[in-house]
Amino acid sequence: MKTIARYVVNGEPYELAVEPFQLLIEVLREQLGLTGTKHSCGVGNCGACTVLVDGKPVLSCMTLAVTARDKQITTIEGLARGGELHPLQKAFVEYGAIQCGYCTPGMILSAEALLEKFPDPSEEQVREAVSGNICRCTGYVKIVEAVLAAARGNERSLDR
Amino acid sequence: MSEDYHVVGTRIVQPDAAAKATGQARFAGDIHLPGMLTAKVLRSPYPHAEVVSMDTSRAKEIPGVAYILTPWELGDWNTFDRGMKDMPLVEGYRVPPEEGVVNRRARHFGDPVAAVAATDERTAEEAVSLIDVDYRELPFVTDAAESMRAGAPGISPHAERNIAKHLTYPFPEGDVEKALAEADLVVEGSFRSGKQEHCTQETAACVAFVDAGGRLNVWSQCQLAHLARRELSHIFKIPVRKIKLMTPFVGGSFGQRGALCAEPIAAALALRTKRPVKLVFSREENFVGLESRTGFDDITISLGFKKDGTLTAFKTNMLGRLGGYMGCGPMASVIGMTLSMGHYRCPNRAGSADMVLTNTPPSGAMRGFGNEFMTFGMEQLMDEAAEKLGMDPVDIRLKNAKKAGDTAALGLKLESTYFEDCLRVGVEKFGWKEKRETPRSEEGKIKRGYGMATMSHCTGAAPLYLEHSNALVKFNEDGSVDLTVHPAPVGQHIWGALSQICAEELGIEAEDVHIVTGDTDVTLFEYGSDASRSTYAVGGATLRAARQAKEQLLARAAGMLGVPAGDLYLRDRTVFSRTNPDRSLSIARVCYEAIYSFGGKAENFSGKQSFEPVWNSPNYGAYFAEVEVNTETGRVTVPRFVTVIDCGTAVNPMAVEGQLEGGLQQGIGLALTENYVINRETGVVETTNYDSYKVPTAPDMPASEVYIVNKPDPKGPFGAKGVGEPGMVGIAPAIANAIHNAVGVRVRELPITPERLLGALIPS
Amino acid sequence: MFRLLRPFEFHEPDSVEEAVELLSRYNTGAVVFAGGTDLLISMKKREIHPEHVVSIGRLAELNYIDGTADGGLRMGPLATHAAIADSPLVQERFPMLATACNKVGTPQVRNMGTIGGNVCKAGPSQDTPPVLAALEARLRLLGPHGERVVPLDGFCTGPFCTILEPNELVVDIQVPPLPPESAGCYKWCTKITEVDETLAGAGVVLICEDAHTCGDLRIGLGSVAPMAIRARAAEEALRGKTIDAARIAEAASTASMEAEPRSRAGYRRHMIRVLVRDAITELHRDIVSRLEGKKR
Repeated sequence: MKTIARYVVNGEPYELAVEPFQLLIEVLREQLGLTGTKHSCGVGNCGACTVLVDGKPVLSCMTLAVTARDKQITTIEGLARGGELHPLQKAFVEYGAIQCGYCTPGMILSAEALLEKFPDPSEEQVREAVSGNICRCTGYVKIVEAVLAAARGNERSLDR
Repeated sequence: MSEDYHVVGTRIVQPDAAAKATGQARFAGDIHLPGMLTAKVLRSPYPHAEVVSMDTSRAKEIPGVAYILTPWELGDWNTFDRGMKDMPLVEGYRVPPEEGVVNRRARHFGDPVAAVAATDERTAEEAVSLIDVDYRELPFVTDAAESMRAGAPGISPHAERNIAKHLTYPFPEGDVEKALAEADLVVEGSFRSGKQEHCTQETAACVAFVDAGGRLNVWSQCQLAHLARRELSHIFKIPVRKIKLMTPFVGGSFGQRGALCAEPIAAALALRTKRPVKLVFSREENFVGLESRTGFDDITISLGFKKDGTLTAFKTNMLGRLGGYMGCGPMASVIGMTLSMGHYRCPNRAGSADMVLTNTPPSGAMRGFGNEFMTFGMEQLMDEAAEKLGMDPVDIRLKNAKKAGDTAALGLKLESTYFEDCLRVGVEKFGWKEKRETPRSEEGKIKRGYGMATMSHCTGAAPLYLEHSNALVKFNEDGSVDLTVHPAPVGQHIWGALSQICAEELGIEAEDVHIVTGDTDVTLFEYGSDASRSTYAVGGATLRAARQAKEQLLARAAGMLGVPAGDLYLRDRTVFSRTNPDRSLSIARVCYEAIYSFGGKAENFSGKQSFEPVWNSPNYGAYFAEVEVNTETGRVTVPRFVTVIDCGTAVNPMAVEGQLEGGLQQGIGLALTENYVINRETGVVETTNYDSYKVPTAPDMPASEVYIVNKPDPKGPFGAKGVGEPGMVGIAPAIANAIHNAVGVRVRELPITPERLLGALIPS
Repeated sequence: MFRLLRPFEFHEPDSVEEAVELLSRYNTGAVVFAGGTDLLISMKKREIHPEHVVSIGRLAELNYIDGTADGGLRMGPLATHAAIADSPLVQERFPMLATACNKVGTPQVRNMGTIGGNVCKAGPSQDTPPVLAALEARLRLLGPHGERVVPLDGFCTGPFCTILEPNELVVDIQVPPLPPESAGCYKWCTKITEVDETLAGAGVVLICEDAHTCGDLRIGLGSVAPMAIRARAAEEALRGKTIDAARIAEAASTASMEAEPRSRAGYRRHMIRVLVRDAITELHRDIVSRLEGKKR
């Protein structure tokens, strides 16, 4: 039985009709067309489906959509403002922290939640914060570099 | 150091990075088309079984089920080889096409036996679970030795004793038995590998539809797009011209998308329903329904040496497990046998391999393609030999290093090698001598060790594999360029590299080059991306096409400036005269005037080149590992790892680092953490998701340093060689050698688990 | 494994009593949904097909972490692992519980999964049960006929089995205070990677009469038996006795023999011996230095 409720996604309110057995990732990707959030393992191990709910990183493939109503949901699409990339997105781009890009949305959101809580994290804290996000391409090196750079407000000087 | 280039050698940002950072980049699973159906696959729960009958009546009753494909409804479709390596892709190499779109006889746990297309995923999943199948279970085998024994169940009519291929080392030389008999020292070892799964973060996915013109359109992740088109043409008996293959962004491949994955079933359902069909594999399906790394039950290597450390003999016998279908797995043996000796001179060489079918999921190419397991064995034996001869492990490698001009691993002339530079840099940056000479405390259960390994891999696989690439370069009226190519966009930053190569040649910026790609209607034939070939081969085609367009541009500019074309050069988006520095024109102006020109002189500068690299410019690497072994728990951690690479000119050093840093994660997984388990009693794959199959995450990774030798190869575009695979080939042996340095034992089976290490440490 | 869930009836009671009433009505046809991290996996794997899901996640009265006046702790079943791990109160009073909660899953899973859900799932390889067992935690259960308080030790009767009735809810988790001359820790090793299921875990509490005598020892073992267990014979080996390396080794050995691991048995027993030995040694050292610090 669908219930209609209010969902706030990336600051925008939506009235959505949702079945109780629908996962948050289904609603985001299929009803709202926000395909930035990715499905990968389905069992809560890889973090590709990470979104922020009230600022906390959670797994949208393991969340019943109905339990997220009236909460602030942030997907990767909600980070850039007015076409301007969020500092973390900028850093990921500039530091080469993105290869295939599939883990990137979840990874950036986990990092964002960390920086909100610890604006000046240690490398160890960064690794722990993304320990639930699997990347198979980068070896995490440039991801950690990018997060630390974004925290310190360091824009990479693009050398020529 | 490489020459002072303007664009090549810079750490540019990738053109697709922002789209990926914002979630805008579209992967196959993100594509949505009106009227699209979702597909789900029914897979065999048995390792070897005949589908006696199938009752789809209950499934068909569910509202929203559009079509159910069973093995009786394949019509006149052909069977195929998902690895697509039948001649003409590997000269003289034949693979019987044995896979059906869905199969009546399941040859492994997870083999597809039926597929459903329905209005939504939930309905499709429900329908699959309601298909009633009457299976007749057949006897099965899970390992190679068992499979070759008399009386073992036959898996394929084309493989006697289930030996799909018996392959021999393709470049034998000398008399290996005599050399071993006469050697001052022989070291031998038998090594066993597990199996590694690619674990691409994006699972296999495909969208297929028949368009209004009756053409089959397929959004395919395949690394070899034009070959996938050909294979689909063969399977469904549709002419190639009626198939359009498009490549979306692909969430990782590492070789797995070099074979057909979700395409056959998606295309089949699209053809039958005449509606768009999307098929996305679950993570479990990735583990059981796709090719994973070819594993070897046994690799036995014998090496002969003179007492001064000169390598005189190399002999190997390999026993590989293929899985239920041949695929491209057999070639892992040849690639392993040849490339693992790519950095060593040795006058007596021989080897053979039996690649055996087993009732397990298929095996194919994964980053390294056999070289990683051979190198695991080779580099431990080199280490052993060094120890027995009283030599530093680095010195024994230097002693035997191939030089430029020697014959390369794949039989052609070795164009360049900076193998010695790799060792020299590594020794310095790692602090090799100091570390190895530091007295180690006898006390305490944590033992530190330092080990190294080297490797050589390939840049493309000439002359074994087809190496045909094409590029089309076109100038726009604003002086920008469209570059039409079709490598696989799997995350390796190839678009950036190609735009840098093109821009360097044309005196423009990388951002002035727009990559046109991903559509077989538009791109010329491209073999595709594999064997670390894209920068070298597609880049080579790009460079030559750019030169052709450049000649036209210069000829025109020469006329406009009234100077000979030979006097002109391109730089900073400008055509300059060498002799008259004040005579110049912007490239844009020349292009514009050429296009908007009257009197029969209009032209649009362009270049098109077919290119086939017929050289061997292998890459080289030196790997240095620091490990800590807890002798009480058997746990190994890797606090520090140094990789030094010779990949010729680094077109984009940031991208090269990315390949090596990423390879380190997969290499550590191969060495220590990833264990693909098949239950021998039931033939069921037990590790089908990340809860049981563990890939390294951020806290598992060492402090990593990467150094790029950065000296040019004479044949590569601006001196570049390939670097896609080396990142993981040398990791496991470096770790194994470091473990030996720490605790004096060798583990010859991968992964090196705590129990295996403790077993080696405690003899009883 | 299926990516999506099958349909079910969803109920969101407004109170604990209403929740219990719903559970009584639907009995074994209903499951309790808190954080959902375990439940959804079972449902996706089609191991269970509940017709009714009773969601208690919005019941604020079940979500708290409070200290008791006597130095103990009370937690609502909806307290997430992240909240417990990050709680200054828990870090101060029962750091081993914060450690165990910080080990569960990944950062995302810790934000979602609840202590109540963890305890009720009763999986053999969890981190909080052996710690709660060593802390002698108690659970308050609410059913249609009223409340009962049961010790955590004995709550779980086998893998994924508890004494919880289908119409009962865990409504409170109580951790009694520890005396001042005590220390506790949680030590574990994973199956292979850093972020991974626990292969063997030991939650140990050591209470000293004086610097050299063991007043009480509690050892909770996880992942090495059908459920978390107390290694009572091992505790006996040291209880009331002088603490020295030999006795610690004996207790550790005994603990490893009390384990009944199903797979990788040899290595698991070996690791229990190592973990318990290291835990007691470390705790003893901490207590001694604290006592010495007090003397000055």
